[in-house]
Amino acid sequence: MKICVLNGNPEPSDFDEYVAQFSVRATEKGHSVKVLQLRDMDIKYCVGCFGCWIKTPGECVAKDDSAKVCRTVVHSDLLICASPVKMGQVSALMKKTLDKLIPLVLPYFTVREGEIHHPQRYEYTRDLAVLLQRDGADEEDFAIIEQSFRRLCINFDSSFRFLKLTDEPVEEVVDALTAA
Amino acid sequence: MHLLLLNGSPKGESGNSNYLLQLLKEGVDQIPGHTQEFANLVRVKEHRHYVELFQQADAVVMAFPLYTDMMPGIVKAFIEELEPLCGREGNPALGFIIQSGFPESVHLRALEAYLEKLTRRLGCRYVGTALRGGGGSVRSMPSFMVKELVENVHALGRSLGETGEFDRELVTRFSKDETLPLPRLWFIGTLGDRMARAFFWHREMKKNGAYERRVARPYAEPPEGW
Repeated sequence: MKICVLNGNPEPSDFDEYVAQFSVRATEKGHSVKVLQLRDMDIKYCVGCFGCWIKTPGECVAKDDSAKVCRTVVHSDLLICASPVKMGQVSALMKKTLDKLIPLVLPYFTVREGEIHHPQRYEYTRDLAVLLQRDGADEEDFAIIEQSFRRLCINFDSSFRFLKLTDEPVEEVVDALTAA
Repeated sequence: MHLLLLNGSPKGESGNSNYLLQLLKEGVDQIPGHTQEFANLVRVKEHRHYVELFQQADAVVMAFPLYTDMMPGIVKAFIEELEPLCGREGNPALGFIIQSGFPESVHLRALEAYLEKLTRRLGCRYVGTALRGGGGSVRSMPSFMVKELVENVHALGRSLGETGEFDRELVTRFSKDETLPLPRLWFIGTLGDRMARAFFWHREMKKNGAYERRVARPYAEPPEGW
């Protein structure tokens, strides 16, 4: 399985070591893992200009590393959003990167799961999972984060796979990759 | 009451959030004795200063659109700047106006839950969250089409000025359709979508010479090594 891990850790910490360990163990199990260290990339804020829909379809008009993020996400079987919890949600670094995935959908409307959503630009979709470092967050926070990412899954026509915490041994996360 | 109105639209003052906050301000102004001030979160370098304004206010209302099912990146960046204020004595009351281009309110409920929790995390009194779908172009609609919206936001502002919170009945009225009944869902997903394509999206694409590439897949080639 091709796995794209977006590491939204804004400052170097043990979290990066956990993500690196995950990458090693998952590779040993035969997966192909690409970790994108978002804090080392030049990712500009989405300014809501619609340019990726009406000027340069499928690409952000601001030339930055979000192009690399988009290309890797498009070709992954599983996207893992990995981040320490900051004020009850994934980091601002992760959030600004997620905003830049909008080129992967079309501006039009379609009906999915009884609601209005955007059609996908690419014919293939991927599963989505969340890996979090607790950082003072509680069960209510995790439930809200999962709820947000389950919504995101409907929009990207993805299946939600799991939400895991770095409290658990890294093997648990690797095992979750193949769990039904 | 001194009210701080924080515009969290990535489009800055040209977005719908600013329009909604201006309407809210007009409503609050109908009740004497309040002062109000605006700040635009799109000015990310000013966030530290805005944290000071936040501390000085009696009440804060943040307005922003739904971006990938959560708050926009600039809003999350500001929320992280508020972390030192968690549990501090004398934090302002906090409320939100959130909106989405999708016609249903259901898209906004996870974000609403987050914002209610955020308010508790900061130890702020909760003004409430007014949420609304179908907000894509309210700013540019003819006045008869937004009459009800204008009246509702004015009323929200008055309730904030009178009681210090959003009237719950108004919040319910504001949020309109949780999901759409089948006939409307079908209409928006088919004919409505075709009309939006013809009268807006495709026109805009043609203006930019991008119509032929409208469903382009610039990342069809995998990254190196995949």
